[in-house]
Amino acid sequence: MKSVKRYMAVMASALSLLILSSNGALAATELTMYYPVAVGGPLTKVVDGLVADFEKANPDIKVNAIYAGNYNDARIKALAALKSGDPAQLSVMFSIDIYELIEQDAIVAFDDIVETDDDRAWLKSFYPALMENGVTQGKVWGIPFQRSTIVMYYNKDAFREAGLDPDSPPATWDELVSMGQKLVKKDASGNVDRWGLMIPSTGYPYWMFGALTMQNDQVLMNGDGNETYYDAPSTVEALQFWRDLGDKHGVMPANTIEWGTLRQNFLEGKTAMMWHSTGNLTIVKKNATFDFGVAMLPAKKRRGTPTGGGNFYIFKKSTPEERAASMKLIRFLTAPDRTAEWSISTGYIGTRPDAYETDKLKSYVMEFPPAAVARDQLEFATAELSTYQTGRVRKLLDDAIQATLTGAKSPEEALGSAQDQADRLLKRYR
Amino acid sequence: MIGYHGIGVWLEKAAAWLLALLWISPLIYAFWAAFHPAIYATRFDLLAPLTLDNFREAWSQAPFARYYLNTFLLVTGILIGQFVLCTLAAYAFARFEFSGRNIAFALVLVQLMIMPEVLIVENYSTMSKLGLVDTISGIGLPYIASAFGIFLLRQTFKTVPQELEDAARVEGCSWLQVLLKVYVPLARSTYLAYGLVSVSYHWNNFLWPLIITNSVETRPLTVGLAIFGAPESGVEWSIITAGTLLAVAPLLLGFLLFQRQFVQSFMRAGIK
Repeated sequence: MKSVKRYMAVMASALSLLILSSNGALAATELTMYYPVAVGGPLTKVVDGLVADFEKANPDIKVNAIYAGNYNDARIKALAALKSGDPAQLSVMFSIDIYELIEQDAIVAFDDIVETDDDRAWLKSFYPALMENGVTQGKVWGIPFQRSTIVMYYNKDAFREAGLDPDSPPATWDELVSMGQKLVKKDASGNVDRWGLMIPSTGYPYWMFGALTMQNDQVLMNGDGNETYYDAPSTVEALQFWRDLGDKHGVMPANTIEWGTLRQNFLEGKTAMMWHSTGNLTIVKKNATFDFGVAMLPAKKRRGTPTGGGNFYIFKKSTPEERAASMKLIRFLTAPDRTAEWSISTGYIGTRPDAYETDKLKSYVMEFPPAAVARDQLEFATAELSTYQTGRVRKLLDDAIQATLTGAKSPEEALGSAQDQADRLLKRYR
Repeated sequence: MIGYHGIGVWLEKAAAWLLALLWISPLIYAFWAAFHPAIYATRFDLLAPLTLDNFREAWSQAPFARYYLNTFLLVTGILIGQFVLCTLAAYAFARFEFSGRNIAFALVLVQLMIMPEVLIVENYSTMSKLGLVDTISGIGLPYIASAFGIFLLRQTFKTVPQELEDAARVEGCSWLQVLLKVYVPLARSTYLAYGLVSVSYHWNNFLWPLIITNSVETRPLTVGLAIFGAPESGVEWSIITAGTLLAVAPLLLGFLLFQRQFVQSFMRAGIK
C-alpha cells in the first residue's frame, strides 16, 4: 500500500512538474488527514482505498490518511500536532468536539472557505439532523461523515414465541412496556432466561438518554452549547421511565447494563430487544443465528433519537491552497457514490438523501431493508449532547443517570445537582 | 497452638490462590474467547468447538508482523538507552561528590511524580523540533532518562561496600572500569528486574506511541490492537482477545521461560 502511495506521489509530482513547466500554474499540495475508527471491521483499508481513488482523480494532491485511534485519541493527537507546528490540515473527529475545537481556535468554519455557489449548495446537501452537531454561531464547522443513530434491534423469533407480531415492534413507551413484559422468559425457579429489553447504561449513557428525552419532546441543551436542560420536568420524567423499566415494570435488569457486551447478550438471546448504535448493523447481520428486525425507537410524545459519530473538520493552521484541497477531498469522500459505499461497508448512515438514490445503496436497501431504518428515523433525530466543556458537562449527566439506575438517588435529586454543576461550568460562556 | 497455626497457613494459602485466580482470570477468559467461535464468547460449554478463525481475522486486519518488529526495536532501543544513561547517572549520584548533587537528585526524583501523559503536547513539540515525529526513536526518547531507573540503580550502587571499590582502585582501575567491573556485575538482579518492568511498560504503552506515530513503519503492536476497540459498536470479544493474545504472546512466553530468574531478581532488587 505504502509503496503504491509513494509511487503515486512520485507520479503526481512528476506530473505536476510537467504541467508546471508547460503553464506554470499547478503545484502539488500535500494534505495530512487524521481519522478515528469507532466500529469494528477493517476500516483502515476502506479509507486507504477511498483516498487512493481520490489521489488518482486529483494527481496534484497527495493525501496522508492517518489512523488516529478512537475519538478521544484523535482529538488529543490533532491538538498535539497543532500546537507543535507540525499539524494536519483536516481530520475526522467526534461531532460533539465542535465547541472544544472552536474554543481552542483550532478549526475554520466551512462558510468561510466555500467559494462557489456550487460549494454553498453542497453544504446544504446533507440531512439536516446530521448537520445539527456541526452548526453553531450560524456557521457550519463540521461535515457529517461517519454518522449513526440509535435503533432498536429485536429478535423476531422471540416475538413469535411470545405470541407477538414480529412485524409490528413497539411504537410507543406503553407498548414497549407491555410487549417487553410478554417477552420476559423465566425458568421454573423464577430466574430470568430472557429479558424483554436492554438499554445500555455504561459507555454512553447520555446518548441513550438523549433518545428517551427526545421521545418525551425535550432536548438536553441549546444550540449555542452554553445551556443544559438536565432538570426540566420532561427530562426527569424520561429518567424516571428508564429506571421504571427495570425497577417497576421488570422488563429490563434493574441496575446498569454494559454497553460493550450488550450486542453479545442480544446475539445469545439473553434479551429480546436492545437499543444500540446503527454501527452494529453489519456485525449483527453477520452473526445473528435467529430472525431479527430493526425498528425505530418508540415514542412517548414523539419519536426521537440523537445522532452520533464523526464529522470532518478543517484546521485553521492551513494555507488557502491546503484549504481548497481539503474541501476537494471532503467533497470527494462525501459524494453520493462514495457515501453509499461507506455506508454499506460500515453500517453508518448515508449522510445525504441522494446517496440513497444510487444504485448501490438502492439495491442494498432492497435486499436488506433494516439498512434504511436509521435513515427514515433521521426525520425525528436531534443533536448529540454537546456543549462547551463538553467532557465534564457530559460526565455530570452520565453520573446522574447511573446514580438513578442503581437506585442511589431519585431522578429529581440526581438531575438537579447535575444541572447546578453544569450551570457553574457553563456560566462563563453565556 | 499448632491448630491455630495450621489454620493461619491454610487461610494464607487460600487467599494466595484466590488472588492468583482473580489475577489470571482475564487471561484465561482471553484464551477461552480467542479459541472459540464468537457465539461461545460468554457461554462456557466445555464441548464448544475450537477454532483459529479469530486469529486469522485479527491477523488480517492489521500488519502485525511489522508491528512486532517495531515493538521489538522500540523496547530494546529504550532498554539499551535506559541502561547506559541510568547506570552513568546512578553511579554519579551514588559515589561522586559534586556541588548541587542533592538538588540534582531531588529534581530527578520529582520526575517520578509526573505522569508522562501530562507532557504529551510538550514532548510532541520537542520531537517535532528534533524532526523525530513518526520515528521509533521519537517514541522512545522521552523515556530514556528514567527517574525510576536512576533511583533504583543509585540505591543498589550505594549498597556496594566501599572496600570493593577501593580494592579495584588499588589494582589500578579507572572509574569507568570500577563501574563496569565492580558495580554493574553486583547490580545484575536490579538490572534484570528493572529491565522487565521497562520492557513490559513499553510493550504495553499506548497513548504516546499513537500520538507520535503516523505510519505502519513505526507503530507498535498496541496501536495496531486498538483498531479492534470499536467503542461505538461495542467490542467483538473473540477478535479482540485473539489480537490481544497475539500482542502479548512473546512477553508471556518470555515470562514463563524465565519466571524463576525474574522472581528471584525482584526479591533481590526489592521492587514490589
